[in-house]
Amino acid sequence: MPAVSGVSFEIGDEEFVAIVGPSGCGKSTILNMIGGLVAPTAGAIEIDGRPVSGVPANVGYVFQKDTVFPWRSVRRNIALGLEYRGIRGAAQARRVAAAVSMAGLEGFEDAFPATLSGGMRQRVALVRTLVVEPEILLMDEPFGALDLHTKLDLHAELLRLWGERRQTVVFITHDLSEAITLADRIVVMTRRPGRIKMVYDVKLPRPRDVIRLRETDEYLRAYGEIWHVLGEEFAREKAR
Amino acid sequence: MRYRGSVLFWQLLILVVLLASWEWLTGIKAISRTPGLYWIDPFFISRPSLIARRFAYLLSDRVRLNLWQMTLSTVQSTLWGFVVGVSTGFVAGLVLGRNDRLARIFEPYIVAFNSLPRIALVPLITMIFGFGLVAKIVLAWTIVFFIVFFNTFQGARSVDADLIHSARFLGASERQVMRTVIIPSALAWTFASLTPSISFALIGVVVGEFLGGESGGGLGYLIIQSLGTLNAADMMVALLTLGLIGIVMALGIKQVETRLLRWRPEYRKSA
Repeated sequence: MPAVSGVSFEIGDEEFVAIVGPSGCGKSTILNMIGGLVAPTAGAIEIDGRPVSGVPANVGYVFQKDTVFPWRSVRRNIALGLEYRGIRGAAQARRVAAAVSMAGLEGFEDAFPATLSGGMRQRVALVRTLVVEPEILLMDEPFGALDLHTKLDLHAELLRLWGERRQTVVFITHDLSEAITLADRIVVMTRRPGRIKMVYDVKLPRPRDVIRLRETDEYLRAYGEIWHVLGEEFAREKAR
Repeated sequence: MRYRGSVLFWQLLILVVLLASWEWLTGIKAISRTPGLYWIDPFFISRPSLIARRFAYLLSDRVRLNLWQMTLSTVQSTLWGFVVGVSTGFVAGLVLGRNDRLARIFEPYIVAFNSLPRIALVPLITMIFGFGLVAKIVLAWTIVFFIVFFNTFQGARSVDADLIHSARFLGASERQVMRTVIIPSALAWTFASLTPSISFALIGVVVGEFLGGESGGGLGYLIIQSLGTLNAADMMVALLTLGLIGIVMALGIKQVETRLLRWRPEYRKSA
């Protein structure tokens, strides 16, 4: 059985799209196809009108799993993308320092990842991706393993960073609140083989307050509506 | 601190008790004062006092090949065998670890060669390389190579695919992936093989010296010579020296390891 089938959507420039759905609905497969890690068996992925084959330039990817290199200090982790591009010396140091302060990691530059909390490691992974200024940001449940408090912190952080640069973001999550908090548009997937069940436009204004927005009517309406649709999928999954 | 002090105390106490009872037991005559009839005969295991005397004598210039020279020869060949074995084993492990096709092709040869008892190679190696430094190094190399190879191979295979992917997304070329992800990842595995490697290098060298004769020099030569003259004291001198060499080399490796793997939490605590 294919992981996803008949999925077709377009994502606009500077748009923040979240994809939610039951586990195993092929959310990550879609992301991996956009990132060129998996080739679609049928159909095509296009970025700016060009089909994707292999890892595209200008795309950043933040994994759910901790992918900070454990043998490199925070500073050297953040410098990775610059190093790969041959940016060294003062230029590298300046951009790394900017990224460190952007992520609020001052004082931890020389720390090794093993000494950091999960939230801080994910922060490092995020700015490490952003420091090379990708136009498209793919995020696969990046905050899935974090506690609620840390998660809210990072939501605020991500929204602030995104507000400055406005990358196009595709954000996979199974956490509906997270999707509503962050996204402009939410794509709801069905169970395997994943199809698009519903596309919801989140009408929350920006900039958003990640804590207060949960008390707004629009949040509650979005939550209710998407939850209802997701609930059908869960019920069907169970009935099988 | 008190804990470490008490450990050291017990370690020293054991040493003293061991040496004292060795000295004492090998001094008791069994029946009468007739020479040669001991409970525990020093002819076979010597005595600490005698060993100490021989130690001093062998260190002096009164012998043709003194203990310093022999130790130097053994250490030198061991280090060479170690360095050559580790570097070739590491490179081979990396290459085959990242290339399934090559790994498949070479697998039977590697398994076959590795299951050969290395000692069986000594005569052949001697025939090819003669008696001397090179033969000893080659023998050490044939052992060390495989230890390091298998570890690095395993390490290179078990590199986290997501780390490689993240490097690619950050713009890494194949070579950069190798340098910044695969090598550091595999190194942690390689390091685990270094301590056994140095012991096995030493084994290879000593075995080589058994056969190598005087031109090969070394402590293995001293052992074989002592066997010829049935001199247990000299043998003990050689064994003790080998033990010391082993400790010093293992400590050296530990140092390097702690420094290079300081990103690992288990090394941070001890450091």
